[in-house]
Formats: sequence, structure tokens, C-alpha cells
Amino acid sequence: MTNGWIDIKNTDMMLIMGGNPAENHPCGFKWAIEAKRTRNAKMIVVDPRYTRTAATSDLFLQIRAGSDIAFLGGMLRYAIENNRIAHDYLVNYTNAAFIVKEGFQLPEDGLYSGFDPATQTYDKATWNYQEGGDLSGEAATAAPVSGHSSASPLPAHTQPATNQSGPGLTGQGYQGASGAGAKTAEPAKPAPTLPSNTAYDLTLQHPRCVFQLLKQQYSRYTPEMVERITGIPKDQFLKAADLFTSVRKDGDMKQVGTILYAVGWTQHSFGTQIIRAAAILQLLLGNIGRAGGGINALRGHSNIQGATDMGGVFDIWPGYLKTPSPADVDLATYLKRTTPTSSKPAPWESFNYWSNMPKFTVSYLKAMYGDAATKENDFGFHYMPKVDRNYSWTQIWDNMYRGSVKGMLAFGMNGVAIGPDSQKNIDALKKADWLVVGEIYPDETSEFWKSPGITAEEMKTINTTVYRLACAGFAEKDGSMTNSARWLQWKNVAIPPPGEARLDQDIVAQIFLRVRDLYQKEGGKYPDPILNLTWAYTNAQHPALGDLAKELNGNALADLTDPKTQVTIKRGQQLPGFAWLKDDGTTSCGNWLYSGCWTEAGNQLARRGTDDPSGQGIYQNWAWSWPANRRVMYNRASCDSSGKPWDATRKQVWWNESTQLWVGNDVPDFKPDSHPKDHMGPFIMNPEGIGRIFGPLAALADGPFPEHYEPIESPVQNALHPNQSNNPVVKKFTTAADKYATPGDGFNIICTTYRLTEHYHYWTKNNQMNVQLIPEPFVEIPVELAAELGIKGNDKVKVTSARSYYVAKAFVTKRIKPMTIDGKKIYQIGIPIHQGYRGIQEDAGRNARTILNRLTPTVVDPNAYTPEFKGFLVKLEKA
Amino acid sequence: MTTQALYVKESSDDQLERYSFAERIWHWLGGLSYTYCMLSGLALFTPYLYWLAAVLGGGPTARFWHPWVSLVFLATVLWMYAKWLADLRITDIDHRWVEHINDYVTNRDESLPPQGRFNAGQKVFYWVMFWAVLVLLVSGIVMWFPEWFRPNFHFILPIAVIFHEAAALISIGAIIIHIYMGVFMEPKSLRAMIHGRVSRAWARAYHRLWYERVTEGTSTEK
Amino acid sequence: MSQATLGIRRISGHAGPAPGEDVERAEQVCKLIDTTTCIGCKACEVACLEWNGYTFTDTVFDNSYQTMPETAWNYWNLIKFNEHEREDGSITLLMRKDQCMHCADPGCLAACPADGAIVQYTNGIVDFQQANCIGCGYCVTGCPFDIPKFNPATKKMFKCTLCVDRVSEGLEPACIKSCPTGCLHFGSKDDMKGLAETRATQLRENFGFAKAGVYDPAGVGGTGVIYVLHDVTNPEAYGGLPKDPRIPLLVRLWKGPVKWLGGWSMFFGVLGVAIHYLRYGPKIPQDGHDNRDDSAPGHRDEGVKP
Repeated sequence: MTNGWIDIKNTDMMLIMGGNPAENHPCGFKWAIEAKRTRNAKMIVVDPRYTRTAATSDLFLQIRAGSDIAFLGGMLRYAIENNRIAHDYLVNYTNAAFIVKEGFQLPEDGLYSGFDPATQTYDKATWNYQEGGDLSGEAATAAPVSGHSSASPLPAHTQPATNQSGPGLTGQGYQGASGAGAKTAEPAKPAPTLPSNTAYDLTLQHPRCVFQLLKQQYSRYTPEMVERITGIPKDQFLKAADLFTSVRKDGDMKQVGTILYAVGWTQHSFGTQIIRAAAILQLLLGNIGRAGGGINALRGHSNIQGATDMGGVFDIWPGYLKTPSPADVDLATYLKRTTPTSSKPAPWESFNYWSNMPKFTVSYLKAMYGDAATKENDFGFHYMPKVDRNYSWTQIWDNMYRGSVKGMLAFGMNGVAIGPDSQKNIDALKKADWLVVGEIYPDETSEFWKSPGITAEEMKTINTTVYRLACAGFAEKDGSMTNSARWLQWKNVAIPPPGEARLDQDIVAQIFLRVRDLYQKEGGKYPDPILNLTWAYTNAQHPALGDLAKELNGNALADLTDPKTQVTIKRGQQLPGFAWLKDDGTTSCGNWLYSGCWTEAGNQLARRGTDDPSGQGIYQNWAWSWPANRRVMYNRASCDSSGKPWDATRKQVWWNESTQLWVGNDVPDFKPDSHPKDHMGPFIMNPEGIGRIFGPLAALADGPFPEHYEPIESPVQNALHPNQSNNPVVKKFTTAADKYATPGDGFNIICTTYRLTEHYHYWTKNNQMNVQLIPEPFVEIPVELAAELGIKGNDKVKVTSARSYYVAKAFVTKRIKPMTIDGKKIYQIGIPIHQGYRGIQEDAGRNARTILNRLTPTVVDPNAYTPEFKGFLVKLEKA
Repeated sequence: MTTQALYVKESSDDQLERYSFAERIWHWLGGLSYTYCMLSGLALFTPYLYWLAAVLGGGPTARFWHPWVSLVFLATVLWMYAKWLADLRITDIDHRWVEHINDYVTNRDESLPPQGRFNAGQKVFYWVMFWAVLVLLVSGIVMWFPEWFRPNFHFILPIAVIFHEAAALISIGAIIIHIYMGVFMEPKSLRAMIHGRVSRAWARAYHRLWYERVTEGTSTEK
Repeated sequence: MSQATLGIRRISGHAGPAPGEDVERAEQVCKLIDTTTCIGCKACEVACLEWNGYTFTDTVFDNSYQTMPETAWNYWNLIKFNEHEREDGSITLLMRKDQCMHCADPGCLAACPADGAIVQYTNGIVDFQQANCIGCGYCVTGCPFDIPKFNPATKKMFKCTLCVDRVSEGLEPACIKSCPTGCLHFGSKDDMKGLAETRATQLRENFGFAKAGVYDPAGVGGTGVIYVLHDVTNPEAYGGLPKDPRIPLLVRLWKGPVKWLGGWSMFFGVLGVAIHYLRYGPKIPQDGHDNRDDSAPGHRDEGVKP
């Protein structure tokens, strides 16, 4: 989330799409209701099904699963055509005025310039800004006034910095100018970089300026085209477009609109681009950085934001630092590649906060290896693994299926049930040597060897050794969870773990300490990373989570003094925040974004202050949010270029002329002493300082602008370019298990998957309460389709995909209607995840014991590697 | 009456058997079960009589037994139906009797037409009870198991209650007269129902047709 | 359910006045359910179950998100889901929390014959006292909302208590506490009515629900649970909320005229036969020459033998 849960109450307009917050985020959804109640805010819900969120909406549109970009592209076109745009915001805070390099081509035929069909990748050299100056033929209106240079060093008493939102993505968007380690590792030649002095046209008239390209790109997304692709009737689409863009009616900047989404957007083979489309729309409308605005990912698990922040994926380290590649021969090379240099119109300023990358990186390495990390050995840079290729979720399973991954530690997740293609995962585990599962219940993964369909004979041939470790549940451990609003909230232990169950960190500690002992005793190939790892916890056998939080916050390894304020921090003291981090090895910090969470003042995460003087729900003293306790990111953009809030009733931050500082109700997400006249961009994490309507270079694998592509399994050809129907850079998997359907094979019903409010992922099937509320698996089927197939409510039905089948009861509903897609009558069905072959009902033999994800295809988004769980093809029949 | 008197009567030659042992058993079973149902029913009928429930074992107990005991009463009514139907048929004699009802009420029985085993009043009493018990049965089942009817036929519940009450009140009215007649107005009826016999004179006086039927060919008197 | 120390305004099956009959407490408690902000999350169902200590039972999927077809003796709070087609053909999902309405003029209490089995406290809460319940089910007959449910094992009736045990200690009911969206509110009837009317006005003026309104049916004297509905003219669409709930006329008849008529009839019936006896006395056989047995001592006939 760029903003936060409570902040939704400040909005005037909500677009909820690719998410079902009423069902999956009911507690956070109260703020959407609050906005309706207190501000008469309007809510537009776009979903393949009429959900419980839709039930509270003002306008509901049924969309075909996987056609979101077409819808959002139509919105962009509508906003431009009807001049419902935030002009000043666009010119000053986005790259709308930047000129794009000659040779760049829009994907009228489905391909951007630079596509190589052999490798299915783009050469992104043309996806760049043009070097040069002001091409508008007039002086930049926001040219800096001399004498107000803001080259002063970062003041120590403030902590300006931020990060892009991160939600929903696995670190994408953190590929500054130079791209992510894993993906740009291949080329030997140096990757192209952004020009330091970009050409621009503040009149937005230059034919190659980003705004004109945007206009051209989405000129094809007419309401008629939107109807053909999405199935949303033109008049309904126009109603929605008019309503959502009405916040910028007549150029008025006071109103704010927000976009809420979840995995309904991410789980596509073009998921990242859907979110990009939404972000562009929000930039176009000037909604980012503002209270009640933003682009807000609603995380589906209590701590999934924390998992991402902590580098829970292969291509990032904690704090969204990039993982090194084999090309990074030493720390200097690595830092050169990952540290962006600013790229902007010459008269403007760019804070380019990622220029601090060396400080974050060295402090992180010091946290990892302590005294063993020295300047001489590149602070232990070589102890860290170099990532040579893609190790994302589906790849791990694919590798195990192919036999190259031999073992797995599976903690806090049910890998077989999560999918995609559960049967492939089960078959992969059959080939593994060992599997360790840490769970609170017996789950499908730990019992893969007796999944339905495996005979007693076959069971004898499975040689995988399974170790099942009883772990502690969330109420049985303390520590913090990071919510969608980036708040780190500390919780206490409610009850001790039962029986032999142990805390996860204890198990990890035991494994580590024993492995380290083995290395100590027996040596081995390159033992240094293990032997030198810092393990300075009070109780090494049972590391306290408080110790870990302190480690993440970081401390001083030498006496530090801020040259400006003369404030001193003694060696060994906790750091007040990441502004103190050094690249010389005098600071240690496990995750720069979390620096400030456990200072000398104690555990900031446990704060419970309920004062909210501004009434905007900022609650500065409640818990702690990254970065630097800011609640709304990019909040500089809530003011006009002179530093005055767009809306005086929702003042977040503002320029205080008398103190010559940015001040506010929230912590300014900006360089605090940067005078508005210096025209520093509010998007300080981008080297341009502005919001990217055009995503240059390697920001994205599949195009600088989002383009509509069909899901890998789609009942229709792409109406925009039938010859390039799917995302061109998406590669299908190639094992025997990876089968993909076409409508020609009789798979012509679109299926989408989701979660119900009554359930929590897979484990509440072990909880009587949740089981009682929705006792059995079901398939939501439109009344019309059910009538065609002779299916009645509660009948058993069988859903078959190219991979496998799923059996459940029919839920015949009027809430999904037949659609007309490009002249074809198309049905959609929906199936909630949850049930499997272990659980209360399952054990009692009360359901069909099939896992829904047996149906889903192994195909992933090229940026975030999220599988395409939404919108695949199936057949439906009475079981 | 005294036990001594009863024994005297049992052995009397000039007595006729009016009610067999079985008939008396069934009658008193009916009487008892009706009384229980009436009292427990009245307890639920008005708060001013709710104390009756306490006498009958407490509210839940009274509620529990009321429907079961009513089945006993139903059985007695049906038994009587099977046993006495011939004697209970309404005939022309009964119509004439009803025309002279005033004479009966004012004890000028001599003006009444001769009656069979049961006079018209008794027959009417039986049929009132018979129909009342059927109404009570049907409405009572609804009230016994409101859960069966509640979801879809909730509207039946108050209808059942009203019919139950109306039938019960009518039957109570009939019972008041029945007991008054049997115990106070014609004490011999009570005794007949207890020991089964009546004097020939009594039979001749009140149930002449019956008397003639049972004494035909055997009578030695007159 | 609770034996909370609250003033009692009405007592079922009770001869004579209730101790708190004339006490008009300043605050009538009231639960406001804004169906326009209900998201059907069922938190209230779970909270109700947990607070009242009931365990979970088996349910069966029935072509709906609804947990079970209707409330049960041990499941007092149920969201009813209804797919409703609007006049323009579009679909909506109406979700309404169903539970005891705590009528100002409670039909269950009117119908109940058992002294003290149902009470209405002076704050308006209608509560079942299972200790006094005889399990007759008359409350079912009296309730226009079909709420009281029978526990066959204990033969007692149960329903929502409006968490009288919590309310009497100054806490809000469990369902209110659990509601994540603020669709549920609890307070004085006046406050809730005001809040509801404000919300209904907002829905009419700003959200295009021209028929939005407050459901507080006058037929039962108003209720201690009121709804804001998108369309107050069609409450039936919300899982069978009656349009004009009343205590059934026949129940009124039964508990009013019939009771008195019946009572007096029985009284006068007995009185009548007594007077008749005094006036006419017992019947004596006309030809009384055959009356030997009448000489038995103590026989009542003796005295009036002609």
C-alpha cells in the first residue's frame, strides 16, 4: 500500500478491482465503509463475480477474468479524452513531459520495439528517455531559483527516505535504472542506463513525450474495444469511467480517488502490468501521495508484507536490496550496478534515495557477518550466494520435478495445496529425497504420499523421507507482523505451544547450530559463510524475536556523530533510523527499511498511542511503519509545486516558509529542507524523482506501458492483435505435467479461483468454526450454464482442466452472468480454495478430497513470477 | 353412599346391569385422563390457574404429560365409539326429547318421551366430546410439535391454538353439565357407573326403551 | 438466559402486575443493523456462539453462503443471504443478520403460559428464563419473526438474549463488538433511531437508494433491533423479514377475549348448575315405589324424597 488501511476513510472515490476486500480483508474494509458513511465516497467494484464487496458498492461491473488491462486502458483513454487529468501534477510529478528515445515503438501489433522472438525477450535499449534539454521552446515553469541549491548532506535528525510500494510484487519496481540482478545478469555488455539529463517538453505536445505516447497507446482502448475484450457493456463502462474520473472534473484537485487491489490482479501472466496500469491512472489523476488516494495492495496474509520486506523471494535481500549475480565480481561492481544515478531534466532536482544503496548494503553485510565482514574482504560480500538464474516458486517445483532439487524445508505454507498444478508438485515430491514440514496441522504437503489416487503399491515406491515438525501457531509466539499498511505491530504470546510444538525460530536455530557444528568438525567446501554468520542472540539455542528485531533495526559499531547537529551515538547503541547508516562498516543493520523499529527508546512496534490530532487516521504513535514511520508514501505529492496542500481539509505535509522545512501531520516523505522552488521530484526512490508513467529500461520485462494480453488459456484471440494474443515474454513450462488447454479442445469455460471470508487459506479446514460456516467445497456456476448442463444446486459436479479435475458441489448462482466476449457467449465459473485431503471434513470423508490447484496452470508473470491462478480454461460436467 | 349399601345393591335381584366392568373401566379412564388434560390445559390457559401446573408436577411435567394423557382420553372416546355406537345414534325419539328439553331441565321428566340406553342429552354429550376430541387431537398435534410446522406453516400455529381452546372450552362446558347431571342431578347414574347396576324402577323411569329391551321376555314384574 | 439484576417490565404467564410495569427507564437499548454496510463476514455468528458457549455443529452446504437455513436453539445469530434481482434486472446480494428482534410488544411473551419463562426488562430486552420454561412452544406461535427455537434434549426454548449478561454490566452485545465494518451499532433506542434515520437519508440523497428506510415495525410496538434497508418497502427480500409483523390476531384473541370469555364461561357454567340444583334439585323417579336402595343411609335423595 502506498497509503494505509485507515487512510481509506479519507477517500472520495474507490475503485476495487482484482480484490475482494469485504471478504478477504473484512477488518480493513471498515475504512472503505467509513469513507462512504462520512464522506459519501463512491465505490466501484469490478470483478468476475458479484462478491460481498460488490454488495456494498455503488456500481458493479462484471468483468471477464484476465481483461483488466483493457478496462484500465479504457479508463486512461477516457480520462485523457475528457481532460479528467491532473495537469500540474502530471507535468511536475510524473515523467509525462519526458521525451522518449527515437526508435521506441508502441505495441500496435502486440510487440514493443526490441523483441527477440528466439529468446522471447526484449532488447530494452529504446525503452529509454532521450538525452537533452528543454524541447518545449519555453523556460521550465518550475526552474530552480539560484541560491536554493539543496545539495546539503542528509540531516541526521530526520530520516527522509522511502521505498516504492512493493505490495503484491516480489521486489519488482525496485529495479532502479539498472534492473534486477537476476534478470540483467545475462548480458556481458554493460546494461544501458538512464540519461542524466533528460529531454522534456512541459507543454506535453512533443510527439515522443510520454504523455503523447500514453495517449497514442490507449487510443486503441475505445469503449467499444473495452466491451469486446472485457464483456462489460459500453454504457456501463462509460458510467464507471465517468464516475471514477469525476474526481478530476474541471481540473479540480481537491477530491481524491483510491484503487484497492489484491491477488486478483497479481495472479496473471501480466499481473504486474495490471498494477502498472492502475498506477498510471492514479498518476494521471494526481491521486498518488495523497490522503485517500494511492494504489493499495491488500495483502492476503497477516505478515506477507513482512515476508516481502525481509526478502522472502529469491531476487531480493531484506529491504529490497538486489541479490548479486555471478557478474558482480566484487562489492564495488555490485554496488555500481545496483546504485542508480539521477536522471532528470536539468533544472530539476532528484533526491534519488537509492543512491544510498552502498550504506544499506554494507550495513546489511555487517549485520550478517559482524566482525568477519571487513573492508578487506568486501564486508563478506562473497559469503552471500550469487543468483545465477530464476529460483522463483514455480521454478523450485519444476526443478524438483525434473530431479535437480532433492530436498525441501517447507515452513508456514502448504506447498502442495498452494499450487499451481498441485499434482505436479505432488509428483515432484515423490522424486525428492527428503522433505521437512514445519506446521501446526498435518497438511497435504506432509502427506503428499497418500494423496488421492496413490495406490498402496505406488506408495511403496515413494522413497521420500518426510520429517514433520510441530510448530507454534501465531498466538503461541510473540514478534511482529507487518500489515498491508506497512505497520510493524508487536504482539505477545497468548498461550504456550502445545505438546512438542516448538517455535519456528528455535527449529531454525537448532538446524543452523548443528550444521555449523558439522562444518566446524568436518570442514567442507567453503565453510566461511556458515562459520562467520553472526549469531549474537542472548540465547543462541532459542533466539528471542526481540533480539532479531533489534538486529534488523541496527546499531552503531563505532561512536558516530552527525556533523550537522553534533548528535552522537555511542558504539553499541541502537540506531535511531536508516539516515545514520554508513558504508564504511561502522553501522550494522539487518534491514534498512526497518531501521527505527527498535531504537534506544525501546520497542517502537509495541507502541499503542491512540492520539490522532489531524483526524486523518495517521496515528503516529501507534506501532511503527516503514519507512521512518511515514503513513502515506510520496506525501510531498499531496501539495502543489509551491508546497501548498491540494486540499486544505486534508493537510498531510506542507512547506513551512518560516522554518524553511517540510512539516506536517505525517512524516514528510521527502528531503525536509528542499525548497519547493528547487523542484525536487516527490518520488524520491526513482532516479528521475518523478512518478513513472513510462517505465523505462528494465523496470519491467514486458513493456514500458501495459498492454492487454490474453491469459495463457483464453477462449478468445486478442482483439487488439490476434497474432500476438499472449504476453510475448511469458514462457510456458515444458515438463510432461505442464499441459495448456485451448478452446478447441473443448475447454471453453473460464475458471477463476478465490478465497472465502469464512476460511483462511488452507489451514482453517482444521478449525470447526470455519468448517461449520462453509462446510463443503463448491463451484459457483451461473444459473444459465447450470440450466444448459442440467445441473441443480448441491449437485456434485466435476471440473476438468488440461491438467486434472476437481469435484465439488454446485452453487448455482445469479451472481455470475453469462458474458459476450468479442461476439462469443462465454461463461465464467468460480471456485474457492480451501479444502484438500486433510482436515475435519476430509478426515471424516465428507468431501471429495481433491485440491483445487490441481486445475491451475504453471505459468507465471514475467516480472513477479506470480502464477496465473485467475482465468484458466475448464470443462464442467455433472459428477 | 356407603360400601355397605353398595354390597346390598350388587346382590339385589331387581337390579339391572347398566355398565359392564369394561365399560366402567374405560369410562373412568376417560374421566381421569380428561381431568388431567383439563387441569393441565387450564394451567396453561390462564395465569390465574397456572398454579394447577404445580399441583400436577410442575409446568414442564404438565406440558410433557398433557399430550400423552390426551391420547389415553382419545382412546377411551374411540373405545366408547366402538362399543356404544348403536346406542348413541341420534333418532327421532331424541328430537322429540330435545323438543321437551325444558321439561327435563325443570325435572318434569314424566313429560318426556321414553328413552333408550342413553337419553338425547347423554348422546349429545358424547358427540360433543367426540368432535371436540378430534379437533383437540388435530390442533393438539400442531401444538405438540410446533417445530414441525413452524418453518413453512407458521400461520397454522395460532389457528390450531384457537381451535384447541375453543374445543377445550366447549368440552369443559359439556363436562360441567355431565358431572352435574351424573353426580348431583341423578346420583344413581354415578352409582351405576361405579358398580354397574341400576334399579329396574330407575331404568324404567329414565330409560324405558332400554329397560324394555333388556327385560324383554325376562321381566317378572307387572 | 441470564439472571441479571434488571428491572422487569413484563412477565409471561403471570397473574397480576409485573414489578417494573410502570418503570419507564430512561434508556431503551437498541441494536442497529445497517444492512447496506453488512459484508456477510459472519463474525457476529461466531462471536455469538463463543460468548454464549455453544459448540460448533455439523452443517451442510446448501447452494448458499448461508451457514444454515435458519437460526437454531444453539445458533441465535445468522446472516441470511439472498440473491435479489433489482427492478433493472441487475443482481444484488442482500445480507441481513437475523436474530431476536426484542419487540417492545413481544408476541412470545404474550403467548407464553409459563409464569416468568419470558421476561421483558425495563431496558427493553426480552429474555427467556429457561428455568421457568415448560417447553410448550407457544412463544413460537406468538413470534411473528419465527425466532424462538426448541432444544429437544432439554425441552426448553432458546433465542438471542441481546447479551443481557453483557449489557447489564455495561458492555455491548458480543455481535456488536465483533462487527468489523461498523454495520452494527448499539445504544439507546433514540440514538439508534436517529443514527438509522440519518443513514437512510444519506442513502436516499447520496447513494440513489430512493426507497431506503428504517425498519422498526410499529405492529409489534417497535423493536429493540432495527434495520436500515436499501428498500424498506420490500423487507421480504432480505430473507423473509415480514413487511408488517404483528402478533397474530388469533394469539391476541386467545390471550385476550378468549381467555376472559373462557374463564368467565367456566365460572358461570359452574355457577349455573349450582343455581339449577338449588332451584330444581335432583331428579326423582316418578313411580318411586321401587326405591329400596334409597333407604341407604346418607343418600342425598333421602331428604327430598316425596
